[in-house]
Amino acid sequence: MAYLEIDGLSAFYGRAQALFGVSLEADQGDIIAVIGANGAGKSTLFDSVMGLTRTQGDVRLEGESLIGMGTSTIVRRGVGYAPERFNLFPYMTVRDNLLVGAYTAREDIQNNLEMVHALFPRLKEREGQETSTQSGGERQMVSLGRALMTSPRLLFVDEPTIGLAPRVCNEIAEALRRLRGEFGLTILIAEQNANFALSLSDRIYVLESGRVTAQGTHDELSDDETLAAAYFGH
Amino acid sequence: MLQILIQGFLLSGLYALIAMGFTLIFSVGRVLDLAYGAYLLIGGYTYFHFSQTLGFPAAAGLALAAVVGCAMGLAKFRLIVKPLGGGHVAVEISTLILAVVLQAGVVLVFGDSSKILLPIVPGVERLEGATVPYSNLLAAVASWIILLGLYCFVRFTHTGRAMQAVSMDARGAVISGIDSDRINAITWMISGALGALGGVFFASYTQLYPGMWVAPLIISVAVVIVGGIGSIIGTLVVAHIVGFMEITVSALIAPELRGVVTMLLIIGVLVLRPRGLFGREEI
Ligand SMILES: Nc1ncnc2c1ncn2[C@@H]1O[C@H](COP(=O)(O)OP(=O)(O)OP(=O)(O)O)[C@@H](O)[C@H]1O
Ligand SMILES: [Mg+2]
Repeated sequence: MAYLEIDGLSAFYGRAQALFGVSLEADQGDIIAVIGANGAGKSTLFDSVMGLTRTQGDVRLEGESLIGMGTSTIVRRGVGYAPERFNLFPYMTVRDNLLVGAYTAREDIQNNLEMVHALFPRLKEREGQETSTQSGGERQMVSLGRALMTSPRLLFVDEPTIGLAPRVCNEIAEALRRLRGEFGLTILIAEQNANFALSLSDRIYVLESGRVTAQGTHDELSDDETLAAAYFGH
Repeated sequence: MLQILIQGFLLSGLYALIAMGFTLIFSVGRVLDLAYGAYLLIGGYTYFHFSQTLGFPAAAGLALAAVVGCAMGLAKFRLIVKPLGGGHVAVEISTLILAVVLQAGVVLVFGDSSKILLPIVPGVERLEGATVPYSNLLAAVASWIILLGLYCFVRFTHTGRAMQAVSMDARGAVISGIDSDRINAITWMISGALGALGGVFFASYTQLYPGMWVAPLIISVAVVIVGGIGSIIGTLVVAHIVGFMEITVSALIAPELRGVVTMLLIIGVLVLRPRGLFGREEI
């Protein structure tokens, strides 16, 4: 039994279907990349695991089904989410944004704050700044930080490097690496372009029009020329 | 002049309390609770029944009013707002109907005629020609204390921060592990308690009558519209604008016009600054 098992998951927006029986597995401590073009369904997949869409199929964490649990319970079970558009609280300070993340993990506030500040020293410096006035890179850090404040064992990160300068991308990659290495987190990263996720991930799932069309390690997928051309830029 | 100044401050404090309960719902739940004035109505009559008719101590009457307001808020959320889902217009129409029904209920139980609420604390203070009834002073001081408490609650507790979070980004709140139904229920309860307490004080200013839910509703709407989606500070500021306008107009022109200026203010701001003077989305 894998740590996370997504099993034949379909997702719907009204009558429109966005995922068609997606299956995915992750072992504890894995970093998994989910890659696919615009509209492939990456965000929908992550939203669905978090209980934010209407779904069919199953999602199990350590064998326990998350379906029908309600998002706040799923977060309590140790699933953190840094979504595509951040969904930060614009007129709160960085610190208060992080503290909201601690809503379900109040005993861990001190430890988690230290962890977040160690990963992103900038957030400590900018503690009192409202996130509405922050740069994209800073917001991404707040978003990751807020997710980490929920004390997750499993972390979903949706396009963490979109629109960011290479230096900030590296900083975020480094943070994700440390989260796995030092804190043992299991991490799923959605990316359009595999290059960022590649350097980090153990396994890759390719999503096209709501279906998994390929999966494997980077080496395995690089052998497929069409895939390599489409996603790995070589 | 001094009279206007003192009365202005006292009335504005009370208006801030009244408007706060309404803006809270608007910023957290994103709906206009048009039955908001009914909390004041029911709160006022609850106090009247227990403290004046049955002779309970004033503090007990106030506490009971707050409890009844809380219960009404929770019931409104559970029975109307939640079942209607996200439908703003449906919620607004239903709450308006509810207010009218509650007014009819009050007429049925307490009769049509207005009732004089005895001063919560009797006596007046005279100050260089200005007279200040202790009751009005109490209303203002209590309002300020309640608002200060609310401010601290919203800023410094997990539940309060969660209310802010839901008001600024409901999805962000949910993925932070916040149960937004629970936070909404709590907000409706707080709103009900604020409204009911405001109602007791409001009735002590004027009198108790079945139609008394309308004027405070208009004041609250004015504060939301003029202030934009209400911050606590914005609500305070706008409550003072409305309070002072009303006091000045009724002292210098005619008391009958006090409600009219508030409505003119609403229309003026809607025309000139549709997003309000302080429009940003926070508590
Ligand atoms: N709220 C919604 N209502 C209706 N359809 C939606 C909604 N959100 C997404 N979709 C549709 O679901 C499909 C998958 O979208 P999704 O956002 O999951 O893709 P994505 O892989 O994350 O794309 P991107 O790389 O642009 O973020 C798309 O066809 C999109 O139009
Ligand atoms: Mg996406």
